[in-house]
Amino acid sequence: MHAEKGNREFEPKIMAFVCTWCTYAGADLAGTSRMQYPSNVRVLKFPCTGRIDPVFILKAFQQGADGVLVSGCHPGDCHYISGNFHARRRFAVFRRLIDFMGVDLNRLQFSWVSAAEGGKWVEVVTELTERVRAMGPMREFKDLALEEHWSGAVDTKELKEVYQAI
Amino acid sequence: MYPAVGDAVRKEAVRLLSEKKVSAVIGYAAGRRKGSCMPIVVTNAEDAEKLVFSAACVNNLSLYLTKAKKEGPKEGKIGVVVKGCDMKALVGLMGESQLKRENLYLIGVPCVGVLKSVSRPAVPLDSETIAPKCLECDAHLPRGADFVPDAKLPASPETASKYAAEIARLEAMTSPERWAYWKEQFSKCIKCFACRQVCPFCYCEQCLCDRNRPQMIESTPRPSANMMWHIARAMHLAGRCAGCAECERVCPMDIPLNLLNRKMAKELKELYGYEAGLEVCEKGPLNSYTEKDDQSFIK
Repeated sequence: MHAEKGNREFEPKIMAFVCTWCTYAGADLAGTSRMQYPSNVRVLKFPCTGRIDPVFILKAFQQGADGVLVSGCHPGDCHYISGNFHARRRFAVFRRLIDFMGVDLNRLQFSWVSAAEGGKWVEVVTELTERVRAMGPMREFKDLALEEHWSGAVDTKELKEVYQAI
Repeated sequence: MYPAVGDAVRKEAVRLLSEKKVSAVIGYAAGRRKGSCMPIVVTNAEDAEKLVFSAACVNNLSLYLTKAKKEGPKEGKIGVVVKGCDMKALVGLMGESQLKRENLYLIGVPCVGVLKSVSRPAVPLDSETIAPKCLECDAHLPRGADFVPDAKLPASPETASKYAAEIARLEAMTSPERWAYWKEQFSKCIKCFACRQVCPFCYCEQCLCDRNRPQMIESTPRPSANMMWHIARAMHLAGRCAGCAECERVCPMDIPLNLLNRKMAKELKELYGYEAGLEVCEKGPLNSYTEKDDQSFIK
């Protein structure tokens, strides 16, 4: 919130909604293989991408995430047979909705990462983190929260009139 | 504007009730103010003489058949007066197993438009007073109704579609400009939930917004909560919204809700070739999938 933070650079907060059976295992493989990747990502485990409600993504952005990654099993490999197929449709529609609202889609990434693709997990997370770092913090929802708080400035017509009248 | 249609609807309702073909008819009756109409449920032939149809008949009567409205008639065969847009909502509800076709007697009305607002219900229907949804209507004659009056359709006011132009204008903006537009629109929202109460597809026993463990969407009129509510509602209606635009009509703050729903309908059409309300589908577009769905946005 402070404009001058000295030498502290912006560290993006990345939320990752992943499916237990493929991507979480893939991320685990990346860990056991000691692959290094940015530690900005916070991983949330879901049984399946089909469980991920678009409201969760919105909530993540509202609560301060700068980027969101949603990752699951490749089509055809879902542990629950068709969960990722439903998720694919749902997110295709949701993406277009928030794009129409004015959220930059570069902050939202979807991927298929299987349990054997530790390298791909590292690649996807690194790419999203660096992209979001270059974009800067997500101001959209923070501005909405700030709307509620008065900055103390006398900047609207009504406030000026009242101030003059004192 | 529609006196012949109104007469035919009244005659048919009287006939149905006197012959005991239906247990109730949901239609429009004259309201208290001159020219206004209000929904009414009539259960006998005598009351059925009150039924009318005019350009002030803006309500979507399929709302009273949903499980959300516990006071609606539920027993026996029910007659309902439907415009083309209302019919689309009914088709959607049938697809979602909320209604059975054999329990309904549909009195379709040929309609070229209704008023945008009934604050002055006696004004004539013209290009200024017509509802924007009517400019894009392709269902002037409801298909699949049990009875349609033979009356001739009056000429519809000639004006270009407003939604398509506005959607194109917004799509041409940059993301920050669009965010600023919607931020301004939703800053007006007072969370009255009139849009939810009037929507035939908002029949959830407990709305997501009313859950507090976990609380995903606050029900207070705060800027971020307003944004969350409208985005979530647009998402929940994607592929289901029939375009009756009642949400936009009842919004006390004039938020362009149907604009958002029309945009989502356009996206669903583009992505999956689906248009809501044309035929009774067992599974909607977000309930089904194909192996070949677009995944160009997925790494």
